Amino acid sequence: MSTNAAIELALDRVDWRDLAAHADHLPRVYTPGEILMPEAGFMRGHGTFVEDENIKASVAGVIQKVNKLISVRPLKSRYVGEIGDVVVARVSEVQQKRWRVDTNSRLDSILLLSSVNLPGGELRRRSAEDEQMMRRYLDEGDLISAEVQNIFEEGTLSLYTRSLKYGKLSQGILVKVFPALVKRRKMHFHNLPCGASVILGNNGYIWISPTKGQEQEGGEGGFALNLNEHIPRVDREVIARLRNSILALAKCKLMIYDTSIQYAYEESLKYEAHELLQQNVIYDIGEQTQARLRDADD
Amino acid sequence: MASNFELLSEQGLRLDGRRPHELRHIKCKLGVFEQPDGSAYMEQGNTKVLAAVYGPHQAKGKKTESNDVIINCQYSQATFSTAERKNRPRGDRKSLEFKMYLQQALSAAIKSELYPRSQIDIYVEVLQADGANYAVALNAATLALIDAGICLNEFIVACTASLSKSNIPLTDISHFEEVSGGPKLTVAALPTAEKIAFLEMSERFHIDHLETVIETAMAGCREIRDILEAAVKEHLLHMGSAADWARVC
Amino acid sequence: MAYVALSEAEKTYILHGVEDDFRCDGRSRRDYRPMELETGLVSNASGSARLRLANTDILVGVKTEIDVPNPLTPEFGKLEFFVDCSANATPEFEGRGGSDLAQELVLSLQNAYESPLAFDYRTLCLIPGQQCWKLYIDILILECGGNLHDAVSLAAKAALFNTKLPRVTATLLDAGITDLIISDNPYDCTRIGIETVPLLVTVCKIGDYCLVDPSAEEEVCSTVSVVVSVSMRNGEPFLSGTHLTGGGAMHRDTMRNCLQLGLSIGEHLDKLLTKMLKLEQERVGPKRPKTVGFLK
Repeated sequence: MSTNAAIELALDRVDWRDLAAHADHLPRVYTPGEILMPEAGFMRGHGTFVEDENIKASVAGVIQKVNKLISVRPLKSRYVGEIGDVVVARVSEVQQKRWRVDTNSRLDSILLLSSVNLPGGELRRRSAEDEQMMRRYLDEGDLISAEVQNIFEEGTLSLYTRSLKYGKLSQGILVKVFPALVKRRKMHFHNLPCGASVILGNNGYIWISPTKGQEQEGGEGGFALNLNEHIPRVDREVIARLRNSILALAKCKLMIYDTSIQYAYEESLKYEAHELLQQNVIYDIGEQTQARLRDADD
Repeated sequence: MASNFELLSEQGLRLDGRRPHELRHIKCKLGVFEQPDGSAYMEQGNTKVLAAVYGPHQAKGKKTESNDVIINCQYSQATFSTAERKNRPRGDRKSLEFKMYLQQALSAAIKSELYPRSQIDIYVEVLQADGANYAVALNAATLALIDAGICLNEFIVACTASLSKSNIPLTDISHFEEVSGGPKLTVAALPTAEKIAFLEMSERFHIDHLETVIETAMAGCREIRDILEAAVKEHLLHMGSAADWARVC
Repeated sequence: MAYVALSEAEKTYILHGVEDDFRCDGRSRRDYRPMELETGLVSNASGSARLRLANTDILVGVKTEIDVPNPLTPEFGKLEFFVDCSANATPEFEGRGGSDLAQELVLSLQNAYESPLAFDYRTLCLIPGQQCWKLYIDILILECGGNLHDAVSLAAKAALFNTKLPRVTATLLDAGITDLIISDNPYDCTRIGIETVPLLVTVCKIGDYCLVDPSAEEEVCSTVSVVVSVSMRNGEPFLSGTHLTGGGAMHRDTMRNCLQLGLSIGEHLDKLLTKMLKLEQERVGPKRPKTVGFLK
């Protein structure tokens, strides 16, 4: 029986910066301590601070102007939550009346017991029994999809899963990318034409799973799991390919959204799923996707 | 003065051929690893350092009640980093000293008030130690913090300086110059604000010369800062330009 | 290993994938993730190598010293392994956090290299009974992405290939004392033969099946693994050590299958590594090369 193993030499390492050679214009990048503009008339947002009547950058990134709000966006950072964001999170601790979850932010987020749908699907009074049974609903290590409902004073996010589209996640794969690469859009749940579903969490956690059949939608409030189900090989191939394509997009620092994922998936079809792990293949997919996105824009 | 070796030749050149105010060749790269939130690699001459930053993340344990960020550092030197093999990479007095110095200097640069109840871990690994180890470690740490998107007041940069027997100040000391017995000064500064965050001195300096040597080190800091800033901009332009991450809204 | 949290559903998905011989990233049970190799990075060491295996990053430096041989084995030199888990890899390795893992890796390597048939200690001998080379093989773990044993052994073997021992001449002085003169010329050196140097292959048992090169997530799903050390001699793979890790138990037949799998994969890896090392040597040339290192 054969084995696929390859050792490349560092001499042949791909230079990822070559992908930028195709860019039409280079943006203006600011570094910490650099003056953006005088303070007068502007409000400072994330990544900036005021000193000596000037607004200065505190991170390295590009400037973002929304009306009078100036902020600097870095390429990489922990997730900074905003109300209404869709996130994929992992439960790290079960506490009294709430769960502590990891959302790749600077503080752990909270999912209150009152913010989840319990089996039965309707509003019920939270009885003392519910607290003991919390572990039966969500245990440490479980993954959920949720929405940011509220932000507490020190920055802790409060999540909620009361809509039927959120809840515990079943079989599938989690992929982690930089939060800045996930575009903020209206829809974060996508049933891709290639035959799988993705949830693009704003926090950089992306969940890939087989597309659920129509009859399985809703009803149980999002906590039922089918662990006995054996996902067929055909679906697995699509999921593995998607996983590798998304990681390729992330490696090439391309934005991740349904169109770019679809293009990357299509470009990846000429390779075997496991070949997509090699750096020159990743580079090729990145380059082709970049070209197609550029054509689509023009 | 214990200097028993003239660090400057008659032509005004140092042991490695540099002029007194010349820095060693600097090469650096951001984003070397995937797992840490930020990472950087820095070479200054033959001194090579890797830095990794984890965070900001939830502070663990009893420290969760503080209002300022918790800055946790570790300084470690690989066993093969020095000519003589080093038995323990960390835990010895020097490493613990440098760990404290790193924490001190970085606290001056990081905007602590933005990260209450959070913790930032900064780990530095020296792969090759050829002088100015602490300074290069701090410079690598700055780059790693910037790579992680952590808010800083500005770059924090360190540089070493010494004095030749003929009282000419020298910038950026190599290992051989260090052990030759001359005085040594290490300064960590916020160059644009002209503030010193950390200063350490060994051997003896006459007070008249101290001012000059500090200014030499500060000038070195400013130069290093410009080099690092250019490297950060180049990195972002190339890495970020691939997509519309950088597109101005 | 660095702990990765997984939900039951994710574990089930991985388990079923292994059964179907189609893992999460599309690999079969016998496939390795892409690796990258470079030697000669550390100038203070007599030999060095860096190996990247997906997210796992290992840097090895070999330093040499003249020492007195063990009186029980006067014709043998010495090897000493040291593993340092850098906190760069994960905050859990801060301080002494990685020491258990480091100890485990050192024991695996010592076990594998113990037999003189795996490593010819006589090549390290200078004057029998009096002087020998002692090699310190220092391994630095920079990033942890699963499958540390394999990566560490590959990097160690590559570093040994890269090691240059200065040529030593002996002169007999008065009173029977031998003086050793070590050549200063960096090009005047001897190399270490690595044909039989062993490689470690981790064979991981997930559910009822065995696989190689587990990722960090797959390691969490497995109860027990076999680390097989494979040493080649005359083109045949030999077992030069084995142990179980993971705290579970394994049926005898499964164990036999794992060993077979480990031996066949080990043979394949060995050929591949030797080929790439020779290729790199050809391309880079005999002079001290400009290394890529971490900069590209």
